[in-house]
Amino acid sequence: MYRRLLFVALALTGSIALAQTVPPGYPADYAQTIAAANKEGKVVIYSALDTKAAQPLVKDFNALYPNIKVEYSDLNSTELYNRFIAESASGQGSADVMWSSAMDLQVKLVDEGQALAYASPEASKLPTWAVYKNQAYGTTYEPAVFIYNKRLVTGDEIPQDHASFAKLINTKVDKFKGKVTTYDIEKSGVGFMFVVQDTKYFPAMKDLEHGFGASSYRVYGSTGNMLEKVSSGEHLLGYNVLGSYALVRAKKDPALGVVLPKDYTLVLSRVMFIGKQAKNPNAAKLWVDYILSPRGQKLIGSDVELFSIRNDVDAEYTAASLTKQLGPNNVKPIPVSAEIVNYLDQKKRLDFLSAWKAEVAAGAAGK
Amino acid sequence: MRTATFSAVPRGLTILVTAAAVLAPLLLILYQSFLTAPFFDARKTVGIGAYEFIFADPDFWQASLNSILIAAAMVVIAVPLGGLLAFVMERTDLPGKRWIEPLILVPSFVSPMVLAFGFVVAAGPVGFYTVWVTAIFGGAPWGIYSLTAIGIIAGLLHVPNVYVYASAALKSLGSDVEEAARVAGASPFQVAATVSLPLIMPAMLFAAVLVFFLGFELFGLPLVLGDPEGHLVLSTYLYKLTNKLGTPSYHLMAAVAICIVAVTFPLVLLQRYLLQNARKYATIKGKAGRMRELPLGKWKWVAAGLIGVWLFVGVIVPLSGVALRAFVTNWGYGAKLSEVLTLEHFQSVFDEPILVRAIWNTILIGTVGGAIAVACYCAIGFATHRRNDGWSRFVDYLVLVPRAIPGLLAGLAFLWVFLFFPPLQPLRTTIFSMWLAYTVVWLAYGMRLISSSLMQVSTELEEAARTVGASRGQISRQITLPLIRHGLIASWLLVFMIFEREYSTGVYLLAPGTEVIGAQLVSLWQGGAIDVVAALSLINVVLVGVGLALALRFGVKLRD
Repeated sequence: MYRRLLFVALALTGSIALAQTVPPGYPADYAQTIAAANKEGKVVIYSALDTKAAQPLVKDFNALYPNIKVEYSDLNSTELYNRFIAESASGQGSADVMWSSAMDLQVKLVDEGQALAYASPEASKLPTWAVYKNQAYGTTYEPAVFIYNKRLVTGDEIPQDHASFAKLINTKVDKFKGKVTTYDIEKSGVGFMFVVQDTKYFPAMKDLEHGFGASSYRVYGSTGNMLEKVSSGEHLLGYNVLGSYALVRAKKDPALGVVLPKDYTLVLSRVMFIGKQAKNPNAAKLWVDYILSPRGQKLIGSDVELFSIRNDVDAEYTAASLTKQLGPNNVKPIPVSAEIVNYLDQKKRLDFLSAWKAEVAAGAAGK
Repeated sequence: MRTATFSAVPRGLTILVTAAAVLAPLLLILYQSFLTAPFFDARKTVGIGAYEFIFADPDFWQASLNSILIAAAMVVIAVPLGGLLAFVMERTDLPGKRWIEPLILVPSFVSPMVLAFGFVVAAGPVGFYTVWVTAIFGGAPWGIYSLTAIGIIAGLLHVPNVYVYASAALKSLGSDVEEAARVAGASPFQVAATVSLPLIMPAMLFAAVLVFFLGFELFGLPLVLGDPEGHLVLSTYLYKLTNKLGTPSYHLMAAVAICIVAVTFPLVLLQRYLLQNARKYATIKGKAGRMRELPLGKWKWVAAGLIGVWLFVGVIVPLSGVALRAFVTNWGYGAKLSEVLTLEHFQSVFDEPILVRAIWNTILIGTVGGAIAVACYCAIGFATHRRNDGWSRFVDYLVLVPRAIPGLLAGLAFLWVFLFFPPLQPLRTTIFSMWLAYTVVWLAYGMRLISSSLMQVSTELEEAARTVGASRGQISRQITLPLIRHGLIASWLLVFMIFEREYSTGVYLLAPGTEVIGAQLVSLWQGGAIDVVAALSLINVVLVGVGLALALRFGVKLRD
């Protein structure tokens, strides 16, 4: 009901004239895609981004294409994947567009032939690592950050890079016992992906794992819990927290501090693809192109606060501003590539998990 | 003969539908547990790999041990306290009993998710009470995240479950023996420990098995309280398997579920056996006579004080925590209450169409859904009422089955049924899917409510109707049904509260269109949207409170 009212309202305010024009630089036959999409009349999106956070995008898309209703559902990234494969297998059709921060699961679905091949006219404007087989696209540029409680962690104590984070929790054990937090890598796919990347860039990863053990670290399945607990002072430090969410909260929350690690900052990019069984493939194409377009990216870098991936967009949160702030060599985006699905292999994953646990346990016993 | 065939058709249909609704999910889980991939995946093969995996996983054994420890702690705490509470409430001149009675039952009607969350924000390391106590005394002498703490909290929250059975048993017992003991000089406590409670031993034993069983199924409390220190129990281990391998491990989850059922189903059967035994035992009553209240004397204030402490810890602390958290922007050391007060969280709940729909759906599933569920339970009740054939015994056992399956997995199995059973497919994203799962999961509870109403109808009335030539169907519709209508309305209210409270069954069924508050809370909690969780929890408590107030207003017995 509410949703329908909203769309009626949007349809009335949106400009119809804009809807039919082919964006500059797009192939001429794009008009046919738009016409077909208008005929489909809706696009079904499954996303790991909250409905509320995605609201500006949905509204703006509707201003562009008032005849296409956006059915947006937010689910956590694992549920998203589970639902998609179950619905696809049941033959009832699933989402037209899948948009998730679980980059590895998205790539896996592409590899399993669940995605529709679609060369977006915007693809050439993206970094090459963000385009996978002309089927899946990285859409954002979200850093992994440290967070700390500003009331209780101050001055030199605030860790600025990975080495100082490890040193801090290994040495000031009394202060940080039970007060360090990160993702539960058994529960959070994103957390797991981050630490796998860490082992590539941070040679002293073992020190960090020992430190987690020594400080009896606490783990959670989601970013929100870590932000809440560090803000309240129940925990003091958070490691590898998804920066897009942390920065948004830090703006309003006087107790929450955020550090972009100076030695290197991992960057996650939300991956989007069109479902092979999509019932509204043309509307889905319009949505994907819109998200990758300068207009969509500008919103992602401003109102949506997720960092735009395009370099030619001017907004508060962009890949360009992040790169400028940290230095081009210190930003390490996780590529949308076949490599990241390696650890979805059951044995490799379990081996990694048990090695991780063993190091943490050694740290706990050693001090 | 004509009447017999007439009533045989609806009866057969009722039994068939019930059997399908109960057995389909269970069989699906069983089948899934012997596969190597989701059952809908083309690459699946049959094997016992899932069991091999979980039996080789140290986490599984740790979780099993924790489940047993917590369940045992709950028995040790809840059974004696529940028994004593029942004794004090039924037998003594404790002041303010009329007020205390409904309060006692509150923990069993509020969602454990809400209570657990309440404990975190009230008594967690930086909870409201912790911060206040620390400000005054320089430290707070408690923690709520340890295994011990979870056991104690769970034990305290399950006192009402024991109380309900113990007090019912005490009611059916004459008080003359106790008076004799009192006259002979025993203190009230001695009377309770050596006379009253031993006399209701069968009921206490039943309650002990029940509490142990509930402990084994515990989900919300360990999900919230066990998280920070990583304490797993079987149900949270199962939940964790959703992601442990990076991709869904339905086969592992199903295998864990089968292990849980292997423990819980015998317990359910044991309960049934004990209940029948308890009924036999209850016939050894004292002489019927006026029930006299034992004077507590100086113990009066001790008893009242202890009940007060328990109510404070089990009800007031968590609920006040939820209520307060719903109105503050952030909290912790250094935050001042006057600076952080806000109505923003309710604003964000009502701004979010999904959450508004969740609230409406929750109301709908409790009121309309509750009524239809009671109608279904009633139909099943009539299918077995006053019939002692094999089918009745089959249904008797059938309705117990869902009780043994953890709600979390029952919900997942229903999702599969709705996905892959074509006639039901169009209904998957409607609230009907949620309603069906709720109705089946609470089948045993609902049937107990209905059958206790049916049992109160004496056979003479039905026999009289039969003598004048009424068919079975006519008797049901014109005699029995009108007679139990008050019982049905009471059942409806109780089912309403249970449906408002339910949370785990909906976790996997949650989809656009099927949102309910309970499952939404689990999902939002996982996502860490604490502000919204607090506001939504408070709304949930208010809904349950309305049900409770109505129930009290109409004099519904809050127990079966």
